[in-house]
Amino acid sequence: MNYSNFVTAVQNDDQKSLKEHYEVLTKVLCKFLLVRMDAAPEDAKDSAQNAIMFAVEKIKTDELNHPDRIINYLFATAKHDYLKHQNKQKEVNYDQVPDSHSEEPDQLENLLTEERQSILERCFTELKAKQKSFISYWFDNPDSEASVVADHFGISINNAWTKKHRIIQVLNECFKKNINK
Amino acid sequence: MESSRDQDIYKKIDAYVKGTLSNNEIDALWVEFAKDPELLDRLELEVSLKKILAEKIKTKKKPVTPKPLPTWIWHASAAATILIVAMVQLFRIETPTDLNEFIVNSIPTDQIEVADGLRSQEFGISSADSLLNLGFAAISSGDDEKALELFSKVISSYDEEPYASKAFLNRGIIHYNDGNYQASIENFEEAASRAADNRMIAEKAFWYLGNAYVNIGEFEKALTAVGEAYNRDGIFRKSAFVLYRKLSYDLGKVDLEDEEGTSSN
Repeated sequence: MNYSNFVTAVQNDDQKSLKEHYEVLTKVLCKFLLVRMDAAPEDAKDSAQNAIMFAVEKIKTDELNHPDRIINYLFATAKHDYLKHQNKQKEVNYDQVPDSHSEEPDQLENLLTEERQSILERCFTELKAKQKSFISYWFDNPDSEASVVADHFGISINNAWTKKHRIIQVLNECFKKNINK
Repeated sequence: MESSRDQDIYKKIDAYVKGTLSNNEIDALWVEFAKDPELLDRLELEVSLKKILAEKIKTKKKPVTPKPLPTWIWHASAAATILIVAMVQLFRIETPTDLNEFIVNSIPTDQIEVADGLRSQEFGISSADSLLNLGFAAISSGDDEKALELFSKVISSYDEEPYASKAFLNRGIIHYNDGNYQASIENFEEAASRAADNRMIAEKAFWYLGNAYVNIGEFEKALTAVGEAYNRDGIFRKSAFVLYRKLSYDLGKVDLEDEEGTSSN
């Protein structure tokens, strides 16, 4: 995603290019809200679109043009917009600060869909036995460093990372082939 | 062949899926996702794979009967634990943290309140909105005096919401960054009281008000302001909570030993 092109598209009111950028940005911001704020998909979409509209206005008035600032602005505004709408729907107690404050962990599983899961499961069964054994060990021992995995398989740490990367690539290719069917 | 930057990002994704990234690292990784949204596909794939493998383990796992260890191992473990605890107590050094680590040194210009983009698109931009935007432009070009003049004009000519609270907040930010904390406090207080119905502005005003009070050593007042910011439940909630707890400790409102006792129970 090239944010300088996005700025140019806004400034030139290039509708075709804007539409493409909107689609990509909406997708990223929605996923951000699903994962980081545990938002419902419809709420995530609303806040993502509001954030993009705010950013476009700022770009039009020359208040925003640097790519990094645009990204930070989009994330902060999407989050703020989401919280604002959530807060409107709940009772607030302004009396006290509690003794402990719990931050909800990221809800990465919100990214998953049944369709994706079943395709990937099929792809997993197509891996070679050695690949299955390696990647299973990698994910079955989430607390282990790559060095532990490397030791277990008698390879260097770099090779362990490379091996993991290749298996993910194989799965990704299989996944893409099947999801487009 | 991937660049070392790609490899570094893949390692970060791996750590994210395993839950070992800090909040700041997660934020930085999302910036990478925004720059290259295809990386999100990789994240999704790894999350899916992790779930598939976890489910496979669940269905495979059989109950394991633990083998009893000889008694002497239990005694040795207990002795080693006592020794470690004694050593930790002996060598423990109190490392007081400085309150300044918990506050904002300089408020970034993107915190300046300008015209509401969405509203302006629907109804056309008002004169007060224009003045707010001109004030922002003045700050961006380093002309704080001009910005103060414009925000003051908003207050004198358009003394209504949301314009006045935004203008007071913006004046507070300029004074804060100038080290003029007393003036920033007056402006933040005014912004907070006028923005009673606008949670975003009120939260920002209370948060920076608390920071300004810390800067002049008015910790009780800082505690109250930061508590108000926390209760607005917005983007400063976590920072406000951390500062609130720090101030509470420093003011002796929380007994550390009691806390430790409670947490160990």
